Amino acid sequence: MKTRNECREWRELLGAHALGQLEGEERVGLEAHLEGCLECRAELAALEPVVGMLPHADPARFGPAPQPPPELGRRVAATIEEEKRRVVRRRRRAFGGLALGGAAAAIAAAVLAIFVFQGGSEDPTRHVKFASLPNGISIYATLEPHAYGTEIRMYVKGVPSGTLCRVTLRGPNGATYSAGTFRYRWGDDSNAVLSSALDLSRTRAIVVRAGNRTFVGRT
Amino acid sequence: MIQLGNSARGALSRERDVREAYAAHAGELYGFAVRSLGDSGLAEEAVQETFLRAWRAGDRFDPKIGSLRTWLFAILRNVVIDLGRARAARPRVAEGGIEPSVEPLDEALLAWQVEEAMRRIGEDHRRVLVETYYRGRPYAEVAEELGVPEGTVKSRVYYGLRALRVVLEEMGYED
Repeated sequence: MKTRNECREWRELLGAHALGQLEGEERVGLEAHLEGCLECRAELAALEPVVGMLPHADPARFGPAPQPPPELGRRVAATIEEEKRRVVRRRRRAFGGLALGGAAAAIAAAVLAIFVFQGGSEDPTRHVKFASLPNGISIYATLEPHAYGTEIRMYVKGVPSGTLCRVTLRGPNGATYSAGTFRYRWGDDSNAVLSSALDLSRTRAIVVRAGNRTFVGRT
Repeated sequence: MIQLGNSARGALSRERDVREAYAAHAGELYGFAVRSLGDSGLAEEAVQETFLRAWRAGDRFDPKIGSLRTWLFAILRNVVIDLGRARAARPRVAEGGIEPSVEPLDEALLAWQVEEAMRRIGEDHRRVLVETYYRGRPYAEVAEELGVPEGTVKSRVYYGLRALRVVLEEMGYED
């Protein structure tokens, strides 16, 4: 009759046995124990697939795994946002084309025309120009209306890598609304996506403070 | 049979789902992409493209068929193949000392799983497996170096393999 302790002693040798590293008396003793112990045999069987996978790994790669850079999440979100916009534009174009092509049916065309007129073949996005930028510096911003306020996509190039950029929107009577911050990194061609509570219809200017320089774009 | 993941989260039809999927799986996807492509810039591109393709095909994801993780890894696999082909057309030098893996992609995925599982088990367990299995050193020598009895090294090998099994199961491994 086996005791729990006896099983435990043999069981702790199962790893070395599964790896083919047990020799001599220990091996003979363990094999004899396995003959009569269903539980330990089951435990050995559970280890074997793991042992079978070990040769595939490269121990030089057991060190810390590389982590994705923090801005990758933002870039993924921006890519998907852009994709969403592209799909909407394509649908709108298809819908517009349908309205033109469907002119033969006067009533249907009239109904579609209303949709096209109301639904906006017009792009609601506003592109902002930054006047009198110094040589070598490029700043672009596009503003898009949302129920929560305005979404701002910023593209900056030419300032030193690592420059902190602070963005605010200016309302009709000079009130300012923060849109957040981002950091320009050399080689990063993505847009920074920011948001502000100020409605686009009330936005008069966008102010970008990059390091100690301030740039103003009129909407 | 290796299957990845069992953490179904539903379709990627909303941006919130994508954010959640990114938070849950981007680290692993990126780790595998770096291992396969050997280039952190290309790996970032691969992860970005994976989530974009997942978003486009969000309606086709069915958690009843497989987990979100499995699905994302399947997309990444195709992306890595595409990027590998593109790279073959314009050779690049590996950066940051990371060598691209040269084995077939499924082998790379299996290898990456074991390496990731090794990272997740305790240092004591990993150490004895590296010394005795991968370096083939005698138990007595390893025991002396670690200042523990030989029996302890053997029991650590056993508990290390058990820990690996648990971690691999958490990662979706099935016999």
